[in-house]
Amino acid sequence: MTLAALDEPIAAGTTFLAPDQKSEAMLKLLTCGSVDDGKSTLIGRLLWDAAGVTEDQRAAIMHASHARAVNGERIDFSLLLDGLVAEREQGITIDIAWRYFETERRRFVIIDSPGHEQYTRNMATGASHADIAILLVDARHGVKRQTRRHAAICNLVGIKKVIVAVNKMDQIDWSEERYRAIEADFRALAGNFSFAEITAIPVAALTGANVVARSAEMGWYTGPTLLEYLERVDPKVEPEDAPFRMPVQLVLRASGDFRGYAGTVTSGTIKVGDRVVDPRSGLGATLRRIATMSGDQASAHKGDAVTLVLDTDLDISRGAVLSEVKRRPVNADVIEARLVWLSEKSFDPEAGYLLRTATDLTPVTSMSVSALVDFETLDSTPAHECSANDIADCRILLGRATALDLFGDLPLTGNFVLVNAVDGTTVAGGVITWVQTGAAAVGDNVLVLDRARLAGLCSDLGDSPADRAEFERRAQEVAILLRSAGVPVLIETDQ
Amino acid sequence: MTALTSHLKLLEAESIHIFREAAAQFRSPVLLYSIGKDSTVLLHLARKAFWPAKPPFPLLHVDTTWKFHDMIAFRDRTAKELGLDLIVHTNHDGLARGINPFDHPPSVYTDIMKTQALRQALDAGGFDAAFGGARRDEEASRAKERVFSFRAAGHTWDPRLQRPEMWQLLNGRLGRGETVRAFPMSNWTEADVWRYIMLEKLEVVPLYFAAERPVVERDGQIILVDDERMRLLPGEVAQTRKVRFRTLGCYPLTAAIESDATDLEAVVQETLSARVSERSGRLIDHDQAGAMEMKKREGYF
Repeated sequence: MTLAALDEPIAAGTTFLAPDQKSEAMLKLLTCGSVDDGKSTLIGRLLWDAAGVTEDQRAAIMHASHARAVNGERIDFSLLLDGLVAEREQGITIDIAWRYFETERRRFVIIDSPGHEQYTRNMATGASHADIAILLVDARHGVKRQTRRHAAICNLVGIKKVIVAVNKMDQIDWSEERYRAIEADFRALAGNFSFAEITAIPVAALTGANVVARSAEMGWYTGPTLLEYLERVDPKVEPEDAPFRMPVQLVLRASGDFRGYAGTVTSGTIKVGDRVVDPRSGLGATLRRIATMSGDQASAHKGDAVTLVLDTDLDISRGAVLSEVKRRPVNADVIEARLVWLSEKSFDPEAGYLLRTATDLTPVTSMSVSALVDFETLDSTPAHECSANDIADCRILLGRATALDLFGDLPLTGNFVLVNAVDGTTVAGGVITWVQTGAAAVGDNVLVLDRARLAGLCSDLGDSPADRAEFERRAQEVAILLRSAGVPVLIETDQ
Repeated sequence: MTALTSHLKLLEAESIHIFREAAAQFRSPVLLYSIGKDSTVLLHLARKAFWPAKPPFPLLHVDTTWKFHDMIAFRDRTAKELGLDLIVHTNHDGLARGINPFDHPPSVYTDIMKTQALRQALDAGGFDAAFGGARRDEEASRAKERVFSFRAAGHTWDPRLQRPEMWQLLNGRLGRGETVRAFPMSNWTEADVWRYIMLEKLEVVPLYFAAERPVVERDGQIILVDDERMRLLPGEVAQTRKVRFRTLGCYPLTAAIESDATDLEAVVQETLSARVSERSGRLIDHDQAGAMEMKKREGYF
């Protein structure tokens, strides 16, 4: 046996926790696949066998299964997840369901996502919250177009570890050969993506084989069962020593002269005494206090919701990103991004869009699509349009600069959703792949909305932070109207 | 300093993030305070999100007039001690029509005294967003809901038209006539709520702890005789049993469980080993199939 062969049965690089170490962090697990691959059944089986189902729920499911009798004598596990009336009536999953359970080793939330193409927006929503994804493949049919689309979306939203669960092994006589072929297919297509770890497991959700209990029929499979893998996998794939970022949500003022910037640390660490900078103005300050109701902290880390008090007033508000001095975000007004289009209304270059990043909302001056992902080949093909469920590469000019990172470096300051300015709906979710500053050159035909031009509309506004925010709000609304009439607009706020 | 586990710290931080996003994006939010353990945690999280300032929104309690007396006392004391604005709203039209939990089926009673009352209160206050303590682990239709749950004019929910909600990004931009129900505790479980209450030393309504109380048993459900309005059946006599509640609502519609759990630690222990789900004691949820979804579509939380 070669060294390479030793790596084969379980995916190379699998990191296991020590056996007696119960992980405190919850594992967020996405399940996806095509219609009828048996996602809901697999998760129902996992919950049922791993004791995540209470007695009254068991009784209700037994009762309902009997009434529907879709699986003959068997229990219909999908009833544990399909919670909407329409879902139960039609026997399909429409929207994601969140199910929480604990085993002795770990806490889990299972995010069960719909398989139908028309509900891709819901699948993308679920995927963006997951640490790890189970992609289901029906052993009879192998990898399908929808499997490739789901894998591409998992990759886009930043999932690094995926499990390929080859389901319905009972229907193909537990064939190792067939299983190996599907696994190889998937590993080949995953070459297009940046997954750190791919693990294939042959299962039969209806009988429970290799879900919680090891299958007696598949002696040739020596890897972990699904639950064994899930209890041991380490979801974290973060680089150590990431640069500090905290997008400002609110400025909090209170009695005395308290003035603090409230937000959640999206990466890195900050200590009292450290220097921070506002990348938009370039101004810096020293961190004086990290205030919380439970007491002041000496330091704050990724994920902490805190309020920072600085030694000098940076005069910043919601939308700013407090950063460490050395490695700052780019104050960008041109971005390139890959996005998944979620709206039933196709991309319209004339429509008014807003870019919602961590805590900022920036008007889009212009936007163009350059390519679409082909879900047969997974290649990018040149295109200028995109519509529901497409993955597209695009270029966006912003009405003003905002602090941004590349998604590949810092996901939580490098992601965005695109918002339809008129009806407020979320039309796309995207990740930033390239940024540039100062390229949105003001041409002769671009109308600049500044304090001077909007003097009449904003005659009641002064220079306080609140008034400046109100100016920006009004300018954005005016810009939306002008853009919908075909006038290119830039907003100039630094007065 | 508290000694929260890293799991609870993450949940707490996520909830605070949601409160702050909503406060920044909505013009006029309100916190739906229903006095139970989830509301207790919700209010505590709201205080943390804006400390040292006070939460920038009032509390709203929809009072059917059939809540446990202990709940009302606890509500008034909490609002007073924390110095928060409390709006109490009752559907007086329903009251005048004599709507009550004995003569009317739970679906009718709930619609008029809770759902319609809530819609009246939200409209009267001009609120564009309402925080609720609902959790996805409670019930099947809630397991499907977003953190920012958009309601069309008339407060109706269409589960087939939920907005995508990706990563930590919450889009609160409203369309015409829309309002939002915001759920900062979406990802908490019942066990998380109790562990948090214990570690943060939060006070809860005494009904959550076992005590000798006057009750009657009907169809296998134990109902508290909270005042003289409780209608006893012919020959029915209240007996004293040691009971507590897992959830709190209107007393004639909320079943107790027999328990010896008289303090927080015992309640947590009992919750963690529970074999039936929390809402099995809510009689209104079992009135018809998909009962909760129907109520939500009509504007219930």
